Amino acid sequence: MARKLLLEKAHVENIRYYDVYRREGGYRSVEKALKSMNPDEVTEEVKKSGLRGRGGAGFPTGMKWSFLAKPEGVPRYLVVNADESEPGTFKDRYLMEFIPHLLIEGMIVSSFALGANRSYIYIRGEYWWIVDILEQAIQEARNNGWLGKNIQGSGFDCDIFVQRGAGAYICGEETALIESLEGKRGNPRIKPPFPAVKGLWDSPTVVNNVETIAAVVPIINEGGEEYAKIGVGKSTGTKLISACGNLKKPGVYEIDMTISVEEFIFSDEYCGGIANGKRLKACIPGGSSVPILPANLLLKTAKGETRMMNYESLSDGGFATGSMMGSGGFIVLDEDQCVVKHTYTLARFYRHESCGQCSPCREGTGWMEKLLLRLENGQGKSSDIDLLWDIQRKIEGNTICPLGDAAAWPVAAAIRHFRDEFEWHVTNAAEAQTRNFGLAHYAEPLVVQS
Amino acid sequence: MIQFSDKKLQEVQQIIARYPDGKQRSAVIPVLHLAQQEFGGWLDVPVMDYVASLLQLKPIEVYEVATFYSMFNLKPVGKYMFEVCQTGPCMLRGSDDIIAYIGEKLGIKPGETTADGMFTLKTVECLGACGYAPMMQMGKYYKEHLTKEKVDQIIADCRREAGLVANN
Repeated sequence: MARKLLLEKAHVENIRYYDVYRREGGYRSVEKALKSMNPDEVTEEVKKSGLRGRGGAGFPTGMKWSFLAKPEGVPRYLVVNADESEPGTFKDRYLMEFIPHLLIEGMIVSSFALGANRSYIYIRGEYWWIVDILEQAIQEARNNGWLGKNIQGSGFDCDIFVQRGAGAYICGEETALIESLEGKRGNPRIKPPFPAVKGLWDSPTVVNNVETIAAVVPIINEGGEEYAKIGVGKSTGTKLISACGNLKKPGVYEIDMTISVEEFIFSDEYCGGIANGKRLKACIPGGSSVPILPANLLLKTAKGETRMMNYESLSDGGFATGSMMGSGGFIVLDEDQCVVKHTYTLARFYRHESCGQCSPCREGTGWMEKLLLRLENGQGKSSDIDLLWDIQRKIEGNTICPLGDAAAWPVAAAIRHFRDEFEWHVTNAAEAQTRNFGLAHYAEPLVVQS
Repeated sequence: MIQFSDKKLQEVQQIIARYPDGKQRSAVIPVLHLAQQEFGGWLDVPVMDYVASLLQLKPIEVYEVATFYSMFNLKPVGKYMFEVCQTGPCMLRGSDDIIAYIGEKLGIKPGETTADGMFTLKTVECLGACGYAPMMQMGKYYKEHLTKEKVDQIIADCRREAGLVANN
């Protein structure tokens, strides 16, 4: 059984409430940090832990914290990014719903490290009921002296507020999130200046994902070096994976990044294999933006090595034959599923969510959606596939924020690995219109582990 | 006359207090949520103007926000809004069938409201419930693992709640 650091206690009855959470060892990291450490020492532990941002980019958290500007007399802010909107990703929601105090605890310690006296949780508007859960937890923490003035006699003041968004994927991008928190449209800002220098209300700001901040709790409790011993290489600690699609047991799993992709999909401890006795066709392992991989490249790298569930292994081979860990949104397609149709729904998603600031993204996402729909409906031409390739290339790297790349990559990877399925839609136009899936049995038959 | 109750006005003050002095513009999204709930489930222009006046903003500063975020309704919606997710992971688990079934049951297409003003069917993009697909949002909560039977039940429950069963 893999080591669990975040969800170990998530299913203790009533862990959502303060008394139970505290009884189970909650808020120890706040006691430790505030009573026996200074802010720089907390940051140092996070650096030692090797923790990487869990929102998708995988940037080292300790390093991000150390970039925070600290001009005299200017407030600093911590903003937790709970705008979880990347298709396939529903891990932060799970954490906040089941064990909200873990996030609050992590925020207090992190705010102490950063010198932030006012911190915000920016949560996507659709997670409406979770706002109540978080506000209840914050109230309990305040009533028990973990928030407010002079926390536990340390002289450190901190308050946490929940800000509910209103439906915009783009607000998961940190500068768009800051704009939204300031009461504006979620249009990403041009960087630099980075939020660490000029963020919320022009003050130095750190924006971190929910899971990242929650991971600070075990890091402080056990020490950064202990945390770094879990996992492999630069993939330290544990990672939440939200698994969905055609799986027997979709859901949220905490892994220690030493297991193989095959084990994650097929073992009963995790997803339990493909639903309805079907075979594995393809998978998007890290949220809809990262490249889709066909089954053979998913389970083994191009070099023939077993592909593991960690940052390095998932990206082995670059975009030519690899993918990314991303947000941990693990989307599985079985043999009956159509890559063209799936890619079309993602293109529609990105067109819907483009903020419209940059023309390559604003226009390009719409063109890609239209071309993919045409192909899916059997009304496409062979040249449409090349056009699609051309458009995605002209979006990538040409926009203010990474949404452009995020929209381009899934289309590129689908064509790269499943070009024959796109061509099938052109050459079998009539069948493409009546059948809801593309090339069945595309994936090589697999030996399914018991 | 568009006017929050005293209780709601207090809530607005509490929202403004979450931000440093002079940063009440940050309250625009939370206050628009509140206004949408209070004034019939959508944001008519006079409602947005009222929010602007409360926060000392120019009306355009409220309009540009209200038109950006998908949860703000800019035209009337039904008493119950079914917001069914249609993005990849839900599609893999049959969201197309669920959308078609709801449409057929209610006699409306996505984006439409039933003539009696009871139901609105809307297709939405990923709501972060991919492992529990197909799913939809209904008000504050999610309805997950949807089946046709479950949809029947939800519609029946809504009708019962609205006291319309006797008229059917």
